[in-house]
Amino acid sequence: MKSLIKKKAIGELLNEWKQDPVMRERIVHWHTIDEKEAILSDFPIDLDPSIKEALKGRGINQLYSHQRQAFDIARQGHSFTAITPTASGKSLCYHLPVLQSIIEDPSSRALYLFPTKALAQDQKSDLNLLIEQMKQDILSYTYDGDTSPAIRTKVRKAGHIVLTNPDMLHSGILPHHTKWVSLFENLKYIVVDELHTYKGVFGSHVAHVLRRLIRICHYYGSNPVFICTSATIANPKELAESLTNETHKLIDQNGAPSGKKNFVFYNPPIVHPTFGVRRSAILEVRDLAKQLYSDGIQTIVFAKSRVRVEMLVTYLKELTKKKIHDDSIRGYRGGYLPSERRQIEKGLRDGSIQTVVSTNALELGVDIGQLQACIMTGYPGNIASAWQQAGRAGRRQDEALILYVAQSTALDQYIVNHPSFILGQSPEEARIHPDNLVILMDHLKCASFELPFKTTDQYGEFEIQELLAYLEEEGILVRTSDKWHWMSDRFPAHEISLRSASQENVIIIDQTVPASTKVIGEMDRYSAMTLLHEEAIYLHQGIQFQVEKLDWEEKKAFVREVDVDYFTDANLAVELKVMSEDQEKPFNKGSLFYGDVSILAMATIFKKIRFDTHDNIGSGPIQLPPEELHTSSSWLSFERPTGWTDAMLTEAMTGTATSIASFIPLFVHCDRRDIHVVPQVKSIHAELPTFFVYDSYPGGIGISERVYEVWPELLSHVEQYVNECPCDQGCPACIGPQESIVGLKNEVLRLLAYLRLETTGEIDVI
Amino acid sequence: MSYEKNLLQMKKLIKKKSAKAPSLAPFVIPPRPVYTGEWEKAGFTVIENDFGIIFEKKNIYKPNQFHGKFQLNEIFEAFTLWNTFQGVHPISADNHHVIFFDTETTGLKGTGTYIFLIGKLAWKDGHFEMTQHVLADPSHEAAFLYASELWKPNLSVITYNGKSFDWPQLQTRWTLNREHLPKLPEPTHIDLLHASRRVWKDELSQFKLTKIEEEKLGFKRVGDIPGHLAPIIYLDAVKSGNPSTLLKVLRHNEWDIISLLTLFIHTTKLLLKEEYNDTVVTSTNIGKWFFDLKVFEKSQPVFEQITNHYDPVQAARAFYYLGFEYKRLKHVNNAYKAFEQSLVHLQDSLKIKAYEELAKIAEHSQKDYAVAISHVENGLILINKSIQLKINQKVRLAEAFDKRVKRIKNKQTISWESAGFDRN
Repeated sequence: MKSLIKKKAIGELLNEWKQDPVMRERIVHWHTIDEKEAILSDFPIDLDPSIKEALKGRGINQLYSHQRQAFDIARQGHSFTAITPTASGKSLCYHLPVLQSIIEDPSSRALYLFPTKALAQDQKSDLNLLIEQMKQDILSYTYDGDTSPAIRTKVRKAGHIVLTNPDMLHSGILPHHTKWVSLFENLKYIVVDELHTYKGVFGSHVAHVLRRLIRICHYYGSNPVFICTSATIANPKELAESLTNETHKLIDQNGAPSGKKNFVFYNPPIVHPTFGVRRSAILEVRDLAKQLYSDGIQTIVFAKSRVRVEMLVTYLKELTKKKIHDDSIRGYRGGYLPSERRQIEKGLRDGSIQTVVSTNALELGVDIGQLQACIMTGYPGNIASAWQQAGRAGRRQDEALILYVAQSTALDQYIVNHPSFILGQSPEEARIHPDNLVILMDHLKCASFELPFKTTDQYGEFEIQELLAYLEEEGILVRTSDKWHWMSDRFPAHEISLRSASQENVIIIDQTVPASTKVIGEMDRYSAMTLLHEEAIYLHQGIQFQVEKLDWEEKKAFVREVDVDYFTDANLAVELKVMSEDQEKPFNKGSLFYGDVSILAMATIFKKIRFDTHDNIGSGPIQLPPEELHTSSSWLSFERPTGWTDAMLTEAMTGTATSIASFIPLFVHCDRRDIHVVPQVKSIHAELPTFFVYDSYPGGIGISERVYEVWPELLSHVEQYVNECPCDQGCPACIGPQESIVGLKNEVLRLLAYLRLETTGEIDVI
Repeated sequence: MSYEKNLLQMKKLIKKKSAKAPSLAPFVIPPRPVYTGEWEKAGFTVIENDFGIIFEKKNIYKPNQFHGKFQLNEIFEAFTLWNTFQGVHPISADNHHVIFFDTETTGLKGTGTYIFLIGKLAWKDGHFEMTQHVLADPSHEAAFLYASELWKPNLSVITYNGKSFDWPQLQTRWTLNREHLPKLPEPTHIDLLHASRRVWKDELSQFKLTKIEEEKLGFKRVGDIPGHLAPIIYLDAVKSGNPSTLLKVLRHNEWDIISLLTLFIHTTKLLLKEEYNDTVVTSTNIGKWFFDLKVFEKSQPVFEQITNHYDPVQAARAFYYLGFEYKRLKHVNNAYKAFEQSLVHLQDSLKIKAYEELAKIAEHSQKDYAVAISHVENGLILINKSIQLKINQKVRLAEAFDKRVKRIKNKQTISWESAGFDRN
């Protein structure tokens, strides 16, 4: 018996909500994006008939404008980057020029890079299907840790298209390049998919892996073209050029059609006015998802952690508990087998699965077809992710509904009240920092291992002769008359993880199951002090763990899975010294700086804080030795406002610093723990009150560099937001939990007003 | 922390500019390393060619010299044995142009690993000559590779693990110097590690050359350096200019190669020489090797000899293979007897197969269905209680055996019924 759910159209549902007073109060903003027609282009004249036939077989008789552009630019031999949101047919942007080149010259080769193995596997299936439909003899393989030895030889010798990931390229292909001569001699295209994922530390490493790759291509005589595809970020061209060290053309007009999209920004009601605490977002999502289910609307719900996914699935399954074997509500998380994914995909396509609840694992690339509605539980952390989640909803003929349900964190609240942040031009950039000396040296070693540098060579855009001399002093290289040779028995690629900046990371070991302990991740030393101390609650891929033992000597943290209702927050006592001032910008009250700092930090105590209420339910000491960190920083030094005592200034600066830290991710793609904001009432450097913003990684990773550029806008956002926060005295959402009833909100606002960096000519008297 | 501090001080040294196109330059002979004189004094000869210099050390051995249990000239007996062997075998070598060789490298893999020592042993002018070439320094690599003469055509080489390690390393180094060198061909390559694994399977627990040397070739090294130190010793010699410990690496390499020669002698004799045997396990392994290569005129006598000389338990596996030999020759009764005798001491997977073969003969040749069924049922019991098999293997075998027993029972019923009819 088919489901008795009566389907409701989205338009109808929205009208109902517009009439409902409760919903009207909670829905802070409505926004509609009208439907968009496709912008089509004819097939290129020289497109091989076999490709045309294969496309026609799939119902494609013309290309989208951006796909045609991609083909033309690629054929001109120019590197380019295309902004390709979900469901825009991005893979044809690279498949078409690549396949065309192989048909024209069967010795041509291409390399496809994906951030994960799973994505590469998915793309390989699709690509092989296309090749089959073309009836051509083109060989494409994935080359990664799972590839069997027999296939490895085949791929090296005869694979036209090699699909891999940066880690494999770094340690499995480049250091063994003599086994890949036919690939490197004939490499025409390098495809970099999901460009926006290459940011921060990881992106900086990958930038070097690509420089090493190009170096080897040049050695074998090839000059491949880069084809990059990215989700929406503010600076795609800049990122691509920084990552690949080449100039790129930008394709940013998407020719794919889309249906009408309705954005609804929903804020749960306040339950504790004094503390500004709102009703839990997860409960709101549950209720909204239930309603959509009852109305027969196919929905995807995104939740931030696996635990929450499971919670929601359990809640929602109440709706189907009376029906036998009803699988219409499913959960989804990373680590599912391809067969399981195919099952869910199929279920969504044939309508047997109506609601799927997922972590952000379903953001990246994986094809699950298009649904009608999407519910986002909180801001996923960056705009690209938000758009990718939203992109899951929307079919050609239908209206789509995207529901953003805000949590009570600062950023979430900011966004729900300023949706233009997501909907309009965002200032959020993805930054990398290939100049980071620690990372550069790591890859210089790998490059030296791969091919000796000549005494006249440079590496990418870097002049490296003096750096090579340093490696010789370290005993790793030996200089003969014209070259620097690798003279060590070490294999450098194995000593470097692409996902961390320094090599002495703390390894995180899960000992929940005593018989099978396993390493689940790594963290840099500096962050580990405040995130992996004993008794800390550590969140990993959405699962809560408690740190049972931290062996600082051995750099190992032993954790156990838990399910608790609090999180931990540690205090870091910091001694900061300015090592060099590289840039300076004066303003009316002081100056902005960018340079290097040296930090001596010691974790002191930690607090246990309950979710939602933010009550302090316990605390404890942290016993770890101090850590030294040399990194880049941007700081704001200002003249002390008249009439402020040290105590007042300290407190106001502390609240302001918390707010600043919340808003930095608005301007640059990063996690909270990538950056630290430290207020000093009397800095050692200039004896002035100063806010320091520094990167958590040795050598810096480009975040504070960006902050240096945007201090005025950053402070203006912070001021506006704290002002608009509905709390009375300050709350976790704006300036952090307050210890006493009389909070510091006013003081913070006064300070921020004082610090308005746009010189208005008026001098504020406080 | 000082590493990072030093790096940050160098931050000002990073300059950037866009790259210029590289220019092609002709080969320039690199200057001699500063330590050339010192190394010469230590006992190396400097060899020169169009690409630079190589440090060389040669050793001459008289034909009747002993190494362990063997005299070097026994190799000619080995060649003769192969000469008279009618067939193709992976380690067959019957001419004296064969070269025994082994290398030492600065690492285990990757393009940053150099071969720094190539040792070759060959018969020349009435004696055995060992030539060892040491890489003068990395800039003299083309000279080193060229002098190895491994690029010459029609080469036959014998190595230990050379197929997986030494030759691929050589190919890597060759690729990095390919503009200057003649093309590297694929020689006839005998890898005695593969042979040793075949011959001494289940007899030796590890196949390190030094282990085989001690246990089978009668040679014990005194004062040898551990192999894993070789890379560091060479790297140190180049960086410091002092070659004293390096000579120990050459000694180690020398032993490796001469043992290779005696290993070849020993293995050949085990395979081909009558009355030259090791243990029953090795003899059975050797028989199986010939069997797998389909050289039945060799395998069968080996198995028969084992069954004649050893007790039933030790000979059980030989009986098993003999069963297949006789089956091939269509001597079904002999095959049956052999399989029966093998049952006394076999690993589960082979025993199950033996039951299957016995059932087949009982069913098709002897037409004794009851006996056939009992064999299949014994097989099924073993499949179920075996701890050596994996689950999916058990499932597959049980299915096959079930089918077989059903079919035989069917036949049995039909034959009983038809036996009831008068055939007139």
